[in-house]
Parts: sequence; C-alpha cells; structure tokens
Amino acid sequence: MGKNRVQIVILCEDRQQEVFARYFLAKRGFNIGHSRSIINPNGKGSGEQFVREKYLAEVKAYRQKCNQVTIALVVMTDADNLSVQQRLNQLSSVLQVNNLADRKTEEAIAVFIPDRNIESWIAYLKGEDVNEEEKKTYNKLLKESDCKPYSENLAERCQRQEKLEDAPNSLNIACQEFQRLLSLLN
Amino acid sequence: MLKRLYVDNFRCLVDFELNFDSINLFLGNNGAGKSTVFDVLGKLQELITTDKKVESIFPLSDYTRWGNGQGHYFELEFLGNDGNYKYSLEVGKVDSEIKEDNLIFSNSYIHKETLFFNQSPLLNVDLEKVEFYSDDGVKNSSPRYNHSQSIISILKPSSENKKLIWFRERMKRLALIKISPNLITNESSQKNSFLTKKMENFVSWYRYIFADNQNKLSQLTESLQEILDGFVSFKFESISEKTVILKLIFKTEESDQNIEYTFGELSDGQKVLVVLYSLFYGLESQDYTLCIDEPENFLALPEIQPWLFQLYDLCSEGKLQALLISHHPELINYLLASPVGYWFERESNSHAKVKPITNQESKESGLLMSELIARGWLNG
Repeated sequence: MGKNRVQIVILCEDRQQEVFARYFLAKRGFNIGHSRSIINPNGKGSGEQFVREKYLAEVKAYRQKCNQVTIALVVMTDADNLSVQQRLNQLSSVLQVNNLADRKTEEAIAVFIPDRNIESWIAYLKGEDVNEEEKKTYNKLLKESDCKPYSENLAERCQRQEKLEDAPNSLNIACQEFQRLLSLLN
Repeated sequence: MLKRLYVDNFRCLVDFELNFDSINLFLGNNGAGKSTVFDVLGKLQELITTDKKVESIFPLSDYTRWGNGQGHYFELEFLGNDGNYKYSLEVGKVDSEIKEDNLIFSNSYIHKETLFFNQSPLLNVDLEKVEFYSDDGVKNSSPRYNHSQSIISILKPSSENKKLIWFRERMKRLALIKISPNLITNESSQKNSFLTKKMENFVSWYRYIFADNQNKLSQLTESLQEILDGFVSFKFESISEKTVILKLIFKTEESDQNIEYTFGELSDGQKVLVVLYSLFYGLESQDYTLCIDEPENFLALPEIQPWLFQLYDLCSEGKLQALLISHHPELINYLLASPVGYWFERESNSHAKVKPITNQESKESGLLMSELIARGWLNG
C-alpha cells in the first residue's frame, strides 16, 4: 500500500498522546516522516492549556496553507473533568474570541479527546472495563511506547470499521472523527 | 544496555557519576564535559577491545590538571547477558625519568582491573597477580607480568570464560560517532565491522552490514526513498580487484532516467542523512549503544524531527540505546518532552557537574527548554 503523502501536524499534551497518535497514523499508512509533533514541553499537568494556546496558531496556519499543500491538523487533548463536548466548546471559543470561524466539517482539522484521558483509552484497549463517567484515573504505562500494540490494534479495528464493544464513548467519537479526516484526505 | 559510568581524575571529570537510560540527551555549554564522557567511553573501549597500550590511550594530558596527582579511576556498568556487569579500572601514573630532547616522559600503567557479573568476580587484577574466575566460579590465579594492557583485551575465548568475553564484545558495541561528512571516503577495500569516530570508513562498514543482508538493505533503501528526493537504490562498483566504490542511483523527474552519483558527490547534508539512517538499520536489535555528538549538524530543519521519531521509537522499544550531545532547539524541545536530559556545567578550571533536567523551570517560566538554555537560565 502506498503511503499517504500528507503533512500531518500533531498537537498534543504529552509524549504519551504523541506516540499513541503517531503509531496509529503510521499503521493507517500515513508517512510519519512528513509529520511534525508539537508536544507540551512541560508534560502532564498544564497540557490542556498548552494545546488551547497553540490551537489558535495552528488553525490559522492550516487555513493559510491548506489550498497549497495536503495538510492535516491532528489535535489531542484530554477531557479531564469536562465532557468531550465541553472540551470541544473550549477549543471553539478560542477561535471565536479571536474572530476566527469555527472548525468546519470539510476542514482536515481533527480533534481527539480521550475521556478522562489517554490512559482511559489504553486501559480499554488492554481489555479493562472502562466507564468514563466515573472519571477514574488509570495507571500510566511504564514506557509511553508500550502503547504501540494497542494503538496499532485500534488502527486495524478502525480500518475494518469494526464495532468497538463496550468502548468508552469518547473513543467511538474519535473513530468517527478519524473517518471524517480520512475521507477528506483520500 | 550501558547503565552507569563513574570517573575520577580524568580531565574535567572528578568524582563524576552518570546513570543512563535508553535515550539520553547531554546539554550544556561548550567545555562543560559532555564530549569528555564520550572520550572516556572511547578510551575504555580501546583499552578493553584492542591491543593498544595504556600509555598511548591515556597520555599525561588526560590527568586532571588541578587534581591530587593520583591516577584515573573508572567504573562501568552494563545490563545484559541476563545480568549486571560491573567493571573497574585504576590507571596509575609514574614519572619514568626517560629523557629525550630535554623532555621528561611519564608512563601510565594498569594498577588494578576488576570485572564482576551479578556481584560475583570474573576478573581481579592487581599489581602482583591475575585472578580469573571461570563461568562456574572456579578461581585460577597467576603472577602478573603485563601492566600495560587490559587483561580482558588479550583473553582467548574458551568454553569457560564466556561471560568475560561477552563483556569484551559488548564494549565493541559502543558506537562513538561525530560525523564528518567531508572525511568519509568513497571507496572500500575490505569490509569493516567497526566504525571509526568520524566515520571515515563508513563505506567499508556499510559493506560489512548491508552487502549480505538484503532485508536490512531494503528497509534502509525504502526509508531513504522517502527522505532523499528521487533516490532509487545503492550500488557497489568495482574499481579494482578488491576495491569497490559506493554509488547512489537517483531518478530524474522529467525523463525517468537513472543517474548514478558516487557517495563523495553527495552534499554534506545528504551524506549525513544516509549515515544516520544507515546507523538505525545497521545497529538496531543488536544491543548497541549509539553515542553521537551533534547528530543534527548538516541537517535541514525538516529532516531532524523525523530522524528523532525513529530514534525515540527504537530506543523506547529497547532496540537501541542512544547517548546524544546537542545544542539544537529541535532536538532539545522534542526529546525533553520526556525526562531524558542531563545538564552539564563547569566553571573555569574546576570539575564538571551534571544534573538531570526536569521540566520544572520550563513549567514555572512558561518558556521552551531551548529558550531557557539560550538565555542561560538553566544553570545553577
């Protein structure tokens, strides 16, 4: 299968999200050598604020360049104590207060919001029962790269459009968001 | 994996200790001691794996100038072979009173050398005797006559010293590199398993690694096709009975015609890209420690992060260990999203100090780590 020649900018809170997104995209055939990662340098804790601050600049940059080159903006930020919709609204308001139009469905700007956080998705993919309404905190992996088999497995299941049994709602939303992104890039 | 290094009385390294992880980034001002760590590893490698004499490896200029006049002391620890190796070396210094052309020469000698595996001795050498321990722990003692070479370097492999030999072979798998693209020769007259520091012998090493391994070669080729515009494949061309020249084939966009270039005809940046990716495919999954001084030299900005992605993945998957020295913001900001950094600092004529870099200061100031370093705010 030929690699998708798309430049993807990955904007995320921490290393765990970055490697999860990179492994997923690589498994789906994207050339990661053309991607660029923007990771919060401070690690967990202030990541959500970092993503919000960078989001504005990246959306502007995307809109300036999207007609010249094939690019996509992949944003990953944890829901934490909010819902997925509340976090999306926060990002929308960043654009709104800066007089920018909200994200449109035909724009290759994809936002992925694990609820409560990326560890919740990884716990589910490892086979644990995850109820995101409980806002439970799951253990971090010993090494961030240990998420590779789970991220790649998710990519394969998404590709087969397999139903994710008892998956956290935020993960189902993310799969739909990825399908939207894919349809734009293909 | 290299786990720990302790150095005393070697140049600016005095009572100096470093613990390593799978990926390690050394930062600090010039002259702070970063490259000296690589020099120590290189000298220990030379002593343990070659027949070179200790006095040529550790000249007088290597002793700490403001030191107490004592010799060097080194400890190295490796995880591997299902256990923990601990090596120690004490190099003594003697003024030999040899006068030539009004110069006084001094000599270094091996005062003491020990190797332990899981806290059990494998080798114990002092001034008078050499004690070997077989893999089963049986001691064999003899008087010592040779004080100028590592005993490990002259060992002949046998069924009883496999653990000792494993350590010597592991020392060979320290790849200590500062790429100088203009020094890399075009030709190779023989395969070479060992990489020279400036990679002058890259083509001979490439020949050793890739000539008989189609799987690795196709991985490298595929990877470089994504990076080097128009690159098709590698090719060796014989220019004499023994000597070959490495060529790269590129396709022209308009005519689909293939054009061959010798390795030496590439730009410095292209050479470095070929070298850096060759290192990945040549060394991965073989328990190597790759030590590179400023790998980003000669690379264009968009070329750095993709290389780092691959390096990070190889290291975190346990397929490679990396020790990097860099001053480049791209490297610093990407890698320090994980706690992999060490900050070296040193005042004039004093010893080097090192501390792990946390992101606390970056968190408090809101500045990128590279910006903190550029402003000199990470010191102290």
